[in-house]
Order: sequence, then C-alpha cells, then structure tokens
Amino acid sequence: MRVSLFGALATAVTASLIGLSAIAADPIRIGLVSEITGPNAEAGGYTINGAKLAVEEINKKGGILGQQVELVIEDNQSTNPGTVLAISKLGGRKDIPAIIGPIRSTQTQAASPTIAKLGIPTMIGGTDPSLTRVNNRWLFRCRPNDLYSSRVIADFGVNSLKLKKWAVVHSTDAFGSGGSKALTDALMAYSVEPVLVQGYTNNSQDFTPVVLAIKKSGADIIGTYMTNSQDLGIFAKQLRQLGVNATWVGSASIVTDTAMKLAGEALYGTYGVADFNPDANDEAKAFSKMYRAKYKLEPDVYSSWAFDAMNVIATALNGAKDTKPENIRNGIVGLKNWKGVEGIYNFDEAGDGLRGYNIVKNDNGKVAFVKHINFEK
Amino acid sequence: METLANNFQVLFQGLALGSIYALVALGFVLIIRATNVVNFAQGDFAMLGAYMMVACLVGAGLPYWLSFVLALIGMGVFGILFNYGVYYPLRHRGFLPVIISTLGASIFLQNTVLAIFGAQPKRLDNVIQGGVQIGSVFLDSQYLVILAVTMVMVAFQYFLFEHTLVGKKLQATSQDKDMARLLGIPVALMIAITFIYSAALGGLAGVLVGPVLFVSIGMGSIIALKAFAATIIGGFGDVKGAIVGGIFIGVIESFAAYYISVPYKDAYAFMMLFLVLVFRPQGFFGEKVSEKA
Repeated sequence: MRVSLFGALATAVTASLIGLSAIAADPIRIGLVSEITGPNAEAGGYTINGAKLAVEEINKKGGILGQQVELVIEDNQSTNPGTVLAISKLGGRKDIPAIIGPIRSTQTQAASPTIAKLGIPTMIGGTDPSLTRVNNRWLFRCRPNDLYSSRVIADFGVNSLKLKKWAVVHSTDAFGSGGSKALTDALMAYSVEPVLVQGYTNNSQDFTPVVLAIKKSGADIIGTYMTNSQDLGIFAKQLRQLGVNATWVGSASIVTDTAMKLAGEALYGTYGVADFNPDANDEAKAFSKMYRAKYKLEPDVYSSWAFDAMNVIATALNGAKDTKPENIRNGIVGLKNWKGVEGIYNFDEAGDGLRGYNIVKNDNGKVAFVKHINFEK
Repeated sequence: METLANNFQVLFQGLALGSIYALVALGFVLIIRATNVVNFAQGDFAMLGAYMMVACLVGAGLPYWLSFVLALIGMGVFGILFNYGVYYPLRHRGFLPVIISTLGASIFLQNTVLAIFGAQPKRLDNVIQGGVQIGSVFLDSQYLVILAVTMVMVAFQYFLFEHTLVGKKLQATSQDKDMARLLGIPVALMIAITFIYSAALGGLAGVLVGPVLFVSIGMGSIIALKAFAATIIGGFGDVKGAIVGGIFIGVIESFAAYYISVPYKDAYAFMMLFLVLVFRPQGFFGEKVSEKA
C-alpha cells in the first residue's frame, strides 16, 4: 500500500512536470478547415499554401504572444457535413483560439450554428452577404461580399468609363438573379436605369436572342452575372460575331482561367471584378513574390484570402494580449485601416472586413490590374 | 430590313441547332427500330465523340481530319463494346432492364470521362475559321458545316436503307426479327451494325457541336433531352420524323426565345411535345398504335 501510494505520488509529480514543460513549449495552435479531398481539392491546396506561408512569416517575426504558431489542418472533404465535422473536431480540442474556416458560402452556412455554439472566432471566405447577418458574432469575413461587386461594377462603368446605357445580362439562378438585382439597384443609385435587363437559364446553347436584344437596346455597356463558363464563352463569341462592340464589365466569372481559355479572343478588352490581383497593392505584390518563390505557382484568391485571414488572427491576438474569444473578437473589430493582400480591412460589428474590389482587364488573354474601388460603408 | 435580318439570323441558328438535335435523334430512332428500346446514353455518345476528338486533336496534336476519322472509328468501336456490354446480355429480358442498363452506361460514361479529362470544359476550334457576313447577318462557319453535314447524312441514310442490301437487311431486322432470322439474315450482326452506326452518328454530332457549345461532361445530356423530344414529336421510331422533329424543335425554340422570352427557351420544346402528344399522339410521321398492332 505504501509503495503504491509513493508510486502514485511520483507519477503525479512527473506528470505535472511534463505538463508544465509541455505548456512552456506549446505553440499557439490555429485551426484551418480546408478542402483536402473531394472535387475542390485543388482549391484546398492553395488555401493551405496561403495559410502556411503566413504562419512562416509570423513565426519569423516572433510568433503570436511570444509563442510560435502551428496550424491544425482538418479536411472538410469539400462538403457541408464535412465542414461541420471539421469545425466540431477543432472546437473539441480546447486549445484552438481561432479558426480559418471555409471559403464556400454553403459550407459556412452549414457550419455557422456550430461556430456560434463553440464561440471561437472563425475567419470565412464565402461572399454571400447573408452569412454575416445571421446573429453569429464569431464569423469574420476576409473577402468583400457580393453586394460590393455590383456596386464596384456600377461605379466603374458610370464614373470611370462614363457610360450610361446599360444592358444587364444574368443567369436566372440564385447567384445571377441576386447579382442582377444588386447591379440594377446600384445603377439606380447613380440615376441610371438599365435599357435592358435580360435573364437566361444556365446551359443555354444559343444566345442569339439575347445578343439581338442588346443590339436593339442600343446599350453601350453590358454588365453580367453569368454562372457557367460555357455560357459565358458562347455568349462572348456570339456577341462579337453579331457585331456588338459594347464595353463589357462582368462579375468574377469573366476572368476565370476556364472562361478565358474557352472564349479566347472574344473576351479580349473586357473588364471584370476580382478580389485578389497580384499587382493590386504593395502587400499583394510582396505576397505574390513570396508565394511564387516558395511554391513555384501563381497565387490565386484561395491562397490570398487564407494568407490575410491568418495575419488578421495574428494581429488581433497580439493586440488582445491573451486568447480569450471575446478579446480576440474585440481585437478583430478594432482593426482600423489594416492593410492586407486583398485590400484595406475595417471590420464592422457584423464581421465584414472588406468593402471593395479590384477592376481587372482582359488584356489579350492576360489579366491586368486597372484600379481598386473601395467603399466606406 | 433590320427585323428581316434578325429573323433570318434567328432562323439560321434554329436550323443549325435543330440539325444537331436531328443527328442525335436519328441515333435514337435507329436503336429504337432495331431493339425496341430507348438508348438513354445516346447523348453521351455525342459527348464521348467530342472528347475523343479533343484527345486526338489537342492531346496528341494530330491533324484535324485524321483526328476526325479516328474519333469516328473510335466511336464505331465503342458502339461494338456498347452492344455487347450493355444491350446483348439483356436482350431477352424485355425493354425495361435494357433501358436501365443504358441509363447506367450513361452515368458510367460521364464519370469515366470526368476522371480522365477533369471537370474543366474544353475548347475545340471550328473546322473552318470565321464565317459569312451578309449585311448584319453573320453565318458562323461551324453552323454552316453542321447544316451541310446533316444534309449529307440524311442523303446517306436514305441511300443506305433504300439502295443497299445491308440497308434492306437492317430494315427487315427492325420490322420483324423472327421473320428476318427465318430468311437467313444474321440478326445479331445487324443489331451490332446498328449500334456501331448510332455511336458514330452520335460522335459526329458531338464533334460538330463541340466548337459551338464547347466540350463538357454535360453537353450530351442537354442535347439528348431535346433530341428525345424530337423523336416523339416526329413519330416514335420514324427516321423522317427524327429529322423533321429535330429541326422543328430547334426553329421553334429559337423564335420563341426571340419573340416571347429567353429564360423559358427550354420550356418551348417540351410545350410542343405536350401539344403534339395531346393532338397527335403518334407524332408527325408515326403510325397509330392500332395500325401497327
């Protein structure tokens, strides 16, 4: 009995010593939910690259609160249930003060209740405006939401290009209809009523009626919210074939690699909005240089947003002085004019950090930066 | 003048897309006649043909015409495999198991192509670059090629079925297999030939439409749905009906989209189908079921 008591005592002392040394050497662990498997695995790889690059830079500068930073990566299998599971797993560890969540709106929507219950500050990249309006004070968006893309398209067309005869062409799905309504509203704010608002269903094989309607309307600028790159490609080809040379400013899908490959020269000279561009600002230039050097790849929005998200967390934690969720939240909301790769961050109470987009131009098949348009509210 | 030009433009697009529906519908009809089942993988034949073209032309860098011939030969070979893998083992089981089998083949084909080529749509260039400009009307060269090839195929089909011995044997097989067998016609071979021809025809439609709609996994399903409607409108199992039905749908949806509403474009084809089923259930050229029995 005596022996076993001594043994127990010795074990307890040793254990607590090990525990103490473990605490002293423990890094700050930040969760990352990414798409490692499933159909979006390619994008997930970019996200991990971006976050890892940020961690490397942060650790070089001394880490967070004097401790080194370590990423804890969980796969969400590119699915909604996978995301909920990954967030729960990270939350269950109790040693993770903040999470870099998903970039997809639908995954964020699925995991939002879990995040609210856990009360862990979570960075998100989904651009559906409603995500930060569902009474979840732990979501912080590191990309501009979709309301800003339409405002930027309208502002650029009306104020920079000075064009007032607008045709709005949109897919009739949720994304396209929402975008078209937001763009029409944004134009109305400049007292411009579109001469044509034309919807089409996804996978249309022929856009001749749409193009003829644009021709008839006499529009000198076209604003589009098109979902599929095939549709965009067919529309672009037929538009130019039927002799419509109006200026074209599209939502982000117009500058995707697929759309540009499919449509080729039919898209030369068109404008689009993009939240990330390697030449948009000094931070983006520096990030792109580091990214290319480390990964031998061209950076994209999947990596840029994760890079920003990780740095926002680090800045907020260093400002908060401890890892209490409430203090981290105050730290994030307290960031003023914080310069990131995607633009200048000013988080509001809802959790939206960015209010602007880059306008880019398809310059003979290459995406060229034109200007950044930012809104105060 | 402007209105006339626009109408002509709309008519031209409708005719060209209608021709594609007709080519796929023709494949449907031939198999229906030979086997009494609907091949739900017919649209995927078009998709597969287009991907074979991409593999030869873009992947292997072969010249256009060689790629074209190889894609069609590839589709012919695929037709044999399809016959012996999907139809032949179930031929005595009635039409339902075969239809399910073709549906399964369709899913299998789409996912296999997805695994090999990835989800990104591919680009194919026109056979002849550019097009013809008449005033404000632009006739895309690829659409002109589609129209010309469809006409040639219709003529070829007529010649094959009416003026060759193989064609007559194929017709005899489709009308009455037992009688054909009694007359010494190799029925299994005739059905295999039908599958080869249908697969090549579907592949041809895919190769032709690839430059216009781009090459993607879903391209076949979109065309097949309209082509299927065309076979019913034209008269289930009627060759003439498939061609007229396809072109009819193409033209109607083009004009309805222009004059009525673009988002409802796909609905017009099925509205026509509905009207035909109500007022002329046997289709334009179909026989009444009572007569057939």
